[in-house]
Amino acid sequence: MDVKNHGFNLAVMGLSLVTVSYLVFPLTAIFIFIASTSIPSSLGRPEIINAFLLSASTATVSTTLLLVFGIPVGYLLARFRHIPGVSILRLLVFLPLVLPPLASGALLLGALGPISPIMRMFPMIDLTQSVTGIIIAQTYVASPFMIFAAEIAFESYDESLERVSRLLGKSRFQTFVHVSIPLAKNGIIIGSIMSWVRAVGELGATMMLAYNPHTISIQIFEDNAIGGLARAIPDIFLSIILSITALTIFWLYSAKFTKGSFAMMK
Amino acid sequence: MTGLELVNVIKKFPGFTLGPINLKVEPEVRVVIGPTGSGKTTILNLISGLLRPDMGSILLNDVNITNQPLEIRKIGYLFQKPFLFPHLRVYDNIIFGKRKDESIGDSEIMALLKDLGIWRLCDRKIEGLSGGEMQKISLARMLVTKPKVILMDEPLSNLDELSKRNLRRELRMVLKERNIPTIYVTHFEHDVYALADTISILYDGRLVYSDTLDGCLKVQKPSSVPYYFDFFGAEGNFIEGIVMQSGSGIAKFRYGAQTIEILGEYPVGSKVGILIRPEDIILSKQALKTSARNVLLVKIVDIKKPAESIGTIKVYMMLEKRLCLVAKITEEARLEIGIRIGDELFIIFKASAPTIVREEFLN
Repeated sequence: MDVKNHGFNLAVMGLSLVTVSYLVFPLTAIFIFIASTSIPSSLGRPEIINAFLLSASTATVSTTLLLVFGIPVGYLLARFRHIPGVSILRLLVFLPLVLPPLASGALLLGALGPISPIMRMFPMIDLTQSVTGIIIAQTYVASPFMIFAAEIAFESYDESLERVSRLLGKSRFQTFVHVSIPLAKNGIIIGSIMSWVRAVGELGATMMLAYNPHTISIQIFEDNAIGGLARAIPDIFLSIILSITALTIFWLYSAKFTKGSFAMMK
Repeated sequence: MTGLELVNVIKKFPGFTLGPINLKVEPEVRVVIGPTGSGKTTILNLISGLLRPDMGSILLNDVNITNQPLEIRKIGYLFQKPFLFPHLRVYDNIIFGKRKDESIGDSEIMALLKDLGIWRLCDRKIEGLSGGEMQKISLARMLVTKPKVILMDEPLSNLDELSKRNLRRELRMVLKERNIPTIYVTHFEHDVYALADTISILYDGRLVYSDTLDGCLKVQKPSSVPYYFDFFGAEGNFIEGIVMQSGSGIAKFRYGAQTIEILGEYPVGSKVGILIRPEDIILSKQALKTSARNVLLVKIVDIKKPAESIGTIKVYMMLEKRLCLVAKITEEARLEIGIRIGDELFIIFKASAPTIVREEFLN
């Protein structure tokens, strides 16, 4: 190995070590939390359990909605990318990812809240302060994860396979079901996990549109506001376990099918 | 008519126009040849429905299919790549296009897989199969749909020589058995001799020549047809005949009054086609007794010095008053032997010199 390459490798390893340390170091706080609080007894608080179950269930509904409505958008972006206007569509779809979550929530509240001209026409429907509102907010902020994962997945295989399917007598819909979806399956599963995790962790938009009932993130926010970090630690502990579980599923699935951590997204 | 018909089909691209194409393909193997960029694949894509013509009609058994969606045309298309579905096992790939109503039965599928020698692969995953196996699976998958027309776009081009040779023989067999109108696009001379019943030349977007394989090999060459001389005789001389004797690793077949010996054993009565490279032919004024097994009497019909050749000339000869053969010799050799147009002389080549490009077992 020549001296220049040796130096380069050392630099890459050194900088990576700094970054990884920066990312891992906060996890040591878990031990501080465990030492300072009686987590098992606090976890029995009904509002924490309710918030935890609410987050998990609404995130599941949001992810299911994204599977139905997000995958076709990913397919459209992948297959019709050369059509004028599709790049603008991609920017619009990307918007929830770059908007501050509170701003997303404010937009949703404006469009779907009591001041919205459309909702004034249907006064009997209240989308704010409801489970429906939570699902709407979660779906909104998580949608780019599903759509872009699906787009990459549909781009990852040779489009000619779909043409071959049609030449073999399958309709467009049959081809989508029997060829496109199975071939994009890995990417779609990864997109689902990422969307679910994003939905569970969602705070800003939900806070604006549907503060009540409390999701786990809002519960953390409120417990911290009322009783400081000590009161919020059980909620935080639960949400960390939830996130690590989701990340583990993601990693196991990825490792099983691609022999590489996140390679299946490519 | 039974078969496929293209009537005044035109397709325009920036800087290139295909057509107007008028073509009739009956139940036969029509090989379309032409230089790169002449529009061969475009014709197949128009017929299959992957492209729509700007003008003209495409008729299949007298039904206008020009604007039909591709999934209902019942056209089988074999590409350069096999395009197997990686998420399905071999058998599931093969029956992918099987229709409940009118596709072939399970026993027929198994017979097809045995014919192609792939029935042992049924439970295998696509990953790890050889190129030849994949292309055979792709062929079987297409045949299971019982297509009304078969299109092939250089399906052998990505295979090794041995796989090519095997697949050519199997292709010829399954195509002759089914007797479906077939268009085979290629620019490989071996494919033409192995598969063609008729040949069309596509040049710069236009069909400039069509004839049977025999017609293409006739002595009177159409000198005005572009690409003709670039193609025929470039790789070799094609001779076809019926095997009359076979044994001890040598087969003899007859062409007119002459007997040709080749290496290999073939069933008596079967038809074989061989290809002899122009460089492998020795010209002699006498019927020399040498170790070479083939000494054939021919008549010189033309002598040309190709512009691109360095030191060699092409001698065109007539075998049995109809088949045109070409030999490549040096100008010096021609002068020493004293070869002139109209001379009768002998061509000599070894039994091991020809490549077997066509085998048909006649019933």
